[in-house]
Amino acid sequence: MKLNRLLIERIDHRILVGTLAFLATMVLVGWIWINENARMAAFEAQFNARSIERGAALFATNCSSCHGVDGLGNVGRAPALNSPYMFGHDYLAEVNSQIATVQAELDAAMAATPQDQTAIDGFNAQMAELEASRASLIAQMGPAVNLGYDPESPVRLARLGWTSTLRSFVYTTLVHGRPVSSNYWPQAMAAWAQTANGPLRADQLEDLTNFILNWDKGDDWTIDDLLAVRQFPIYPVDPATVVVGPTEPPVGATTEIAAIMEGLSGVTGDPQAGQTAYNSAQLGCTGCHINAAVAPPTEGTWTRVQNERLTLPEFAGYTGEMYLAESIIHPNDFIVPPYPSGVMPSNFGDRLSYQQLADLIAYMQTQDQ
Amino acid sequence: MSVLPFPSFLDDVKEKGFKRAALEGVNEIVERATAGMNVQDIREALRGEAASRKPNPRLQPHADGFWLHMRPSYFHKSVTGLYPEFRLGWLSTYFVFFLTITGIFLMVWYTPSPDVAYANMINIMSNVPFGQFMRDLHRLGAEAMVIIVFLHMLRTFFTGSYKKPRQFTWFTGVILLICTMFLSFSGYLLPWDQLALWAVTIGASMVEATPPEVVGTNVNLLLRGGPDIGANGLLRFYLLHVLAVPAILFIFTGVHYYKVIIHGHSLPPGEENIGEDTAKRVPLDKRVYFIPDILTSEIMWISVTTLILVILVTWFFHAPLEAHADSQVTPLGTTAPWYFLWIQGALKLGDKVLWGIVFPTVVIIFLMVMPYLDVTKSRRFADRRAAFSVAFVLLSLLVYLSYMGLPEFGVSTSADSEILHHMLMEPAHNHMGVLRPIPFDQLVPGVYTTRQFHTDDYDGDIGTALASFQDGIPPEQNDAILFFLQNTNHLPINALNFTAVPADAPELLEGLRRLDEELEANHAELPNAWGAIIITEPQNNLKRVDVLLVWDDVQIENGEPVLDENGEPVFILDENGQRQIRYNGQYMFINRNSQYFAAPGA
Repeated sequence: MKLNRLLIERIDHRILVGTLAFLATMVLVGWIWINENARMAAFEAQFNARSIERGAALFATNCSSCHGVDGLGNVGRAPALNSPYMFGHDYLAEVNSQIATVQAELDAAMAATPQDQTAIDGFNAQMAELEASRASLIAQMGPAVNLGYDPESPVRLARLGWTSTLRSFVYTTLVHGRPVSSNYWPQAMAAWAQTANGPLRADQLEDLTNFILNWDKGDDWTIDDLLAVRQFPIYPVDPATVVVGPTEPPVGATTEIAAIMEGLSGVTGDPQAGQTAYNSAQLGCTGCHINAAVAPPTEGTWTRVQNERLTLPEFAGYTGEMYLAESIIHPNDFIVPPYPSGVMPSNFGDRLSYQQLADLIAYMQTQDQ
Repeated sequence: MSVLPFPSFLDDVKEKGFKRAALEGVNEIVERATAGMNVQDIREALRGEAASRKPNPRLQPHADGFWLHMRPSYFHKSVTGLYPEFRLGWLSTYFVFFLTITGIFLMVWYTPSPDVAYANMINIMSNVPFGQFMRDLHRLGAEAMVIIVFLHMLRTFFTGSYKKPRQFTWFTGVILLICTMFLSFSGYLLPWDQLALWAVTIGASMVEATPPEVVGTNVNLLLRGGPDIGANGLLRFYLLHVLAVPAILFIFTGVHYYKVIIHGHSLPPGEENIGEDTAKRVPLDKRVYFIPDILTSEIMWISVTTLILVILVTWFFHAPLEAHADSQVTPLGTTAPWYFLWIQGALKLGDKVLWGIVFPTVVIIFLMVMPYLDVTKSRRFADRRAAFSVAFVLLSLLVYLSYMGLPEFGVSTSADSEILHHMLMEPAHNHMGVLRPIPFDQLVPGVYTTRQFHTDDYDGDIGTALASFQDGIPPEQNDAILFFLQNTNHLPINALNFTAVPADAPELLEGLRRLDEELEANHAELPNAWGAIIITEPQNNLKRVDVLLVWDDVQIENGEPVLDENGEPVFILDENGQRQIRYNGQYMFINRNSQYFAAPGA
């Protein structure tokens, strides 16, 4: 065999081939070494990009029902994240600095002796012009101001008194949620981290944070971006200003179940209307009941009520409607294991009329898969 | 005069001069380090000359040194060529050391905890110089070792080298094969990505089937450290991978080598009389000494093997790293590692206990006792036709069972899920969704449909075809589709305004065409189907690609559409006698910097 003769029988050939292979290996290692920094940087960029993709998917399924698919917020439900306010863009920064410069020059001209009246007049004219353009900017932001935006205090974190970075603000908010936000939003933001009994792992929270921070446009935020925001953050000064109530008389959050059933007997539920209400931003049911890791899922509710809940001894004498009505109005009276108590808002009684409650129950009855 | 009880180096220098004293000192150190060969001996050996002094110093390292006492001091000339050994045993041993070294490098950067293991991987890939290189070498080396060890076993079988007196050597070899496969398998879990979690979940779930139930449950608990693989399971697999199994492997490697010294390398079957074993009686003129011939040969083989591995990981192979392990998300088409596909294939034959536990156990036991069962004396090919035939049948069976283990075989997923997966899947098993590698700039926002290829009725005019298709969708169906997209898929679009794919997006057009072809190919299960690709741009440098499938619902039984006597699918009708319309959709996000590239050959 040729190979035997060439390679295996001649010691000098063996030594030569072995040495050349070793040298070639070392050359390749050197080549990899030269490219290693670039490769690591490329991997990092690629990993961050894919992290944003995963974050986008997580946002779509977990966050968009409250914060909006476009991140612009939902009125009366949750604030915008895709917002110049979130990222602290100051629309007045440029004109303010121009005003400060002219003011300094004006002050210097006023202090000089003898005063140069022409120069002072010039500065005053510039000042008036700048003030006018500042006022015009603020006027353009008018609709946002009406929604609670303050152009003079454009940095969310500064207004909150948050001393760390925006990244840590987003991440820690995801970890712990907003435990007291049910005081000024219809429902509290739940804790999302597994370390806080939520459904998401640390790396998923990182992905979400990367996605949310990717909304930052830096210096390219326009006033149109500001005007697109549907809901600005609410600072809990006066809870009364944010109550979104039904026009019909509400069921009442403290009404006993027997009285509720009596009230329900006068109305007929419409499953279509119930479904609309259920999926609506005002009630926000799907915000939680879409993900079995967070709350009992919508699908199959009626089957579970019939087959599992009503067989429990504490629901002896209950009908399915009664169980559902109680679960909506007094959510903490019975908690389906293993879900935590106190997560579902207990103010639906004050936000729903009997008709709406009946609609919701009718919709639930269609969930008999 | 030295204060020491023997002459010091300085005394030597005084007596012989510095140069001579230094050279003699070096010579002595070399002779001690090699356990018997001085500089001159080594020089002669490497030049291919005969030893110039007696007793032959080249035998000394075998007698006095640790490393070479495990190797015979000479081989029979007939076993030093490429045939019959192909150096497979030596290469297997080399891989043990190769994987130990690369493994130690990786160990330095790794913590066996589900909280950080994946982050460690990312760190190795993005922040550790040569991190990816070492990981690739370790992974490729592991797969190569499985192949090499298996080939080594095949070679031993075909040359009949397992026969008396080498039965026990074969037995230890089977143990080494099992260790190799288990090492490769346990390493799968450590990156804690989806591939890891699900490959190992499949493997470990077979253990659970061990009868009786009390044994299966408890062995499973012992291995996984809980009902599911979690922190305990990861730690256990890690310790098995880096400590327990390597310990067994090293011990049995020693036994295996010792047996080779005791029995010698078996000669090619044709060179001995039947029933004779002359490996230990090598005539003087047939001897090839380990030093220098075998040693240089072995070093050459490992140099070349290393070079091949380095070339492969530089340009052709990168160890896969999928998304973070998630026990809530089962990827479509999960498989065991390729060398366990035969078990996965066997599992599809039926009973989990029979095919998942009994069958592999029988295979292993059969392999172990095979030399004790096959007591025929002849090692010649011509006398072993029956054994060879059985072996080839078993090998074919192995290949076929492995083929059956592939997800393509015998696992029915509904056609719509299969198509969506095929279009959008994240990179896994060297595949990725058809639409993923499309260049970012060609993902032009818009709503596109496969109906753009069906223009025969409109003289090939895409605009008219799309307009008439759009008008043909009943309003309630249009609303239902929009509701589906907005509520299930969270897609913020308010209308389906179909447009033709722009001319400067040829790869998007190609992707849409593939979607159309797949719908056509599944027309029995998805009759009257059309697909849409909807591209939006939710953020700077981030696009969202939705794939929507719409078809007429048909009866499905056991994953196959039910056909009537004319071979037509049976449609499901609603209460008004109209065909029921079904939708399914999936989406992915693509960032400008994600760099998805089509896998070679995909």
